[in-house]
Amino acid sequence: MRNSTATSILFLSVILFAACSKNETPVILNTLTSNTVNSLPADTIIGLVNGQPVGAGKFTFFSLANNKIIANSDSNSVNWDIAFRGTTIITNGGNSGPGAGGGFVYTGTFDALTAVPADSTIKVDNVPTSYAITTGSNKGWYVYDFVNNLITPIPGRVLVIKTASGKYAKVEILNYYKGGITPAATATDAIKTSFQRYYTFRYSYQGNGTKVF
Amino acid sequence: MQRFFLFLFAVKSLTLHAQQKTDSTFSKDMDEVVVTATKSPRLLGNVAIPVSVINAKTLYQSGSLRLNEILSEQTGIVVTDNFGKGIQVQGLSSDYTLILLNGEPLIGRTGGVLDLSRLSVRGVKKIEIIKGPSSSLYGSEAMGGVVNIITYDAANYKSDLNVRYGRFNTMDGSFDYARKFKHIQVNASFNVNSSEGYSLKPNANQKTVEPFWRSFQNANLSGQFNKHMKYGIGLRYNNTYIKNSINVQNGGVNVLSQGFEKSNEFNINPYVEYELNKSFKNVTRAYFTGFQAVQELAVKDIASGYNDRFQQSYIKFENQSNIQLSNYSEITFGIGVIKESVSSNRYDSLSTRRFNQILYTYAQWEKKLTPTLVLVGGARYDYNSAYASVLSPKIAFKYKLSHNIDFNLSYGRGFKAPDFRQLYLNFTNLAAGAYSVFGTEVAKVEMKRLIAGGLLDQATAMYDKLNVLKPETSGGLNLGMNVNFKKDLSLHINLFRNDLSNMIVTDIIGYKKNAGQIFSYFNLKRGLTEGLEAGFSKKMNGVFTVNGGYQFLYSADKDVLDAITRGQVYQRDLHTGIASVMHLKDYGGLPYRSMYTANVKLLYSSKNGVFATLRNIYRGKWGSVDMDGNGLINRSDEFAKGYLQTNASVGYKKDKWELMAGMDNIFNYKDPANLPGNPGRLSYINLQLHF
Repeated sequence: MRNSTATSILFLSVILFAACSKNETPVILNTLTSNTVNSLPADTIIGLVNGQPVGAGKFTFFSLANNKIIANSDSNSVNWDIAFRGTTIITNGGNSGPGAGGGFVYTGTFDALTAVPADSTIKVDNVPTSYAITTGSNKGWYVYDFVNNLITPIPGRVLVIKTASGKYAKVEILNYYKGGITPAATATDAIKTSFQRYYTFRYSYQGNGTKVF
Repeated sequence: MQRFFLFLFAVKSLTLHAQQKTDSTFSKDMDEVVVTATKSPRLLGNVAIPVSVINAKTLYQSGSLRLNEILSEQTGIVVTDNFGKGIQVQGLSSDYTLILLNGEPLIGRTGGVLDLSRLSVRGVKKIEIIKGPSSSLYGSEAMGGVVNIITYDAANYKSDLNVRYGRFNTMDGSFDYARKFKHIQVNASFNVNSSEGYSLKPNANQKTVEPFWRSFQNANLSGQFNKHMKYGIGLRYNNTYIKNSINVQNGGVNVLSQGFEKSNEFNINPYVEYELNKSFKNVTRAYFTGFQAVQELAVKDIASGYNDRFQQSYIKFENQSNIQLSNYSEITFGIGVIKESVSSNRYDSLSTRRFNQILYTYAQWEKKLTPTLVLVGGARYDYNSAYASVLSPKIAFKYKLSHNIDFNLSYGRGFKAPDFRQLYLNFTNLAAGAYSVFGTEVAKVEMKRLIAGGLLDQATAMYDKLNVLKPETSGGLNLGMNVNFKKDLSLHINLFRNDLSNMIVTDIIGYKKNAGQIFSYFNLKRGLTEGLEAGFSKKMNGVFTVNGGYQFLYSADKDVLDAITRGQVYQRDLHTGIASVMHLKDYGGLPYRSMYTANVKLLYSSKNGVFATLRNIYRGKWGSVDMDGNGLINRSDEFAKGYLQTNASVGYKKDKWELMAGMDNIFNYKDPANLPGNPGRLSYINLQLHF
């Protein structure tokens, strides 16, 4: 797959609970997978309808657990965790899919989010009334600058995702344009339109079922 | 004992002025009489707040046609280009700068900006610039500063003819006429100014600056009833027509649309001045002004096209008395009433007029506390019918350490009343994102209409916070020092700080079903600007003058500073795209503010009528657009590049003729994205005939 898996690092870290007595030390294997996905197309623009740029209207489904795109035909399964269509992001749960997935938008940096906060609520999709990952400019993960016609992921927003199988992942969207570079504010609308709807994001997937990243 | 206060009942009766001159080592500029700082004639060297003056000679030799051109060459003033040419003073945007014509406010702002290119500098005797809040005398808008354009009156004007031709077929022609009769003096000016505009983008079917035609007529009449009583009237009519051939986005498609923009304004200000004796003077003034703007565009596929109309009128009556209690103490007292009205199809139908009435009174006391220390204290109270009332005090000290060193310290409060747009705007942009902006007085009604029509997706928490708008307020502190080493070298330095509160900003009150955002206005923001302004002037050999200035400016949104301190602001790396916590050092301050600005000017003026100027104006980088989604200026790609503009002119005067040639922006600097109003190199030739 050309657009993904630029870096794939497998962390196998061993957390040792330091023993202060002769008791047997419990050992927890912490399986954290971190990846960056480049320029994942998400219903890219195919033409104009009534002058408005439109895509084919289809989601791009993605498995965080297996770091790959899942075919559209396989969308009614637990094989995918997250899907993208324009600025809309759905998770495999609620009325979006058969999985146990959900999520929410966390405010803070990716690196500082070392565990899903204990007091947080995992939301599920109830499309079109509400989304686990809130849609709309300045409400969820992105801001739309209508003066310059640009969509920019808001810095300090991390998508906390509960996967189809109930595991946890954190996702930071880095860019919304092809090649991971936002066009200049002065670029033509034609460039801004044809380059948009390409997600570059990094994520960490915790395979052991804990909320720790 | 030399009198410190000089009460010049006519600007030209300079008996006392001369007396001051003989034992003062102030340079000639310090002997200039200014009227804006205290609303009474005062020697510039005696004013306790930062004032600068641009005189007619500088205006002429700089080859300026419009007000924005000459202001862009002044220290601490930055001309911005958004809804027309506005100015920043001490880092405050043009919304917060009051523009006066002969002491009376000009109206007709778009997006808060009074377009200075509307104003010709022909017939202008001088321009006085006050920095820091002056609402204690002038009321609303006098927060960052006051620019007072003072035109010639008949008494000190001559008839002349002036023609000019420059690049882009820019033509300017003026005829000025002055005549003195036994008891009456009249003068009149006529000016036409036109250009075919220019395009900064090759092959674009839309010009960067569209062709325009402007004209103005100005007439003054003044006379004397008797030796105690003078009267006068000023009349002015200003007209602008801009041809539009612009791209309009209609349903995502660019449509080249034809149309026009035109505006006109008139100003009428009669006055009667009564001077009983040296201790009592009274001036009664009336002021009527109206501004009208029309924009029409024929847009393909929209039968009605685009049609925008705006009408504003302003009527004011004011009485001011000056009472001299002693040689060391003077009181100024004023009272006035203002009635403003606006109608626009941006607000409602044109037939619905919105009104505001203001009753105000102000008082000022100038007192010489000791031979070297002067106090000026004053306050103004504005009672508004449409929004909360405001009290604006000001206090200033001037301390003369020696003949050639003095210090100024002043603190004043300024305010800006919510404008009609913030109260009544009802605007939906179908082209860009289908967003709407509603003024606070109409927002609730419009939201209910959207709900009733099933068009509202959701209201935000801000919707519940909609409230009656309060005036924006500021407090400004200025501490300055003036040094005059010898007759030919002077230095000044001024430290300033402005704290702004209740600043009005837009925020989202809801979302429409078609994803369009709905905005309204809130008293939310707190800002600060602080910095240092310094300048020097040096005369050499009697023919050369070098002067220069520098401003360091720090500006910030105080709530952003707090949020950064709390670690709640994030930024995104330009290359990796990775977000991190933002630190104070990364914050680039308020947009469009340059931290560094400077100028150096070389002037040559010989006795045989030859002059030359070389003026260098530097504007350091400024924040222009947010690119990393945090709404702030922080990343390197969010700044516009700093630039140097060099302008030059040469001229020769012989008998009744004056010939001048000039070139602005000699090095042809252009930045179409950030400086659309800068066409690059601009040369011109100017001929003047006096008769």
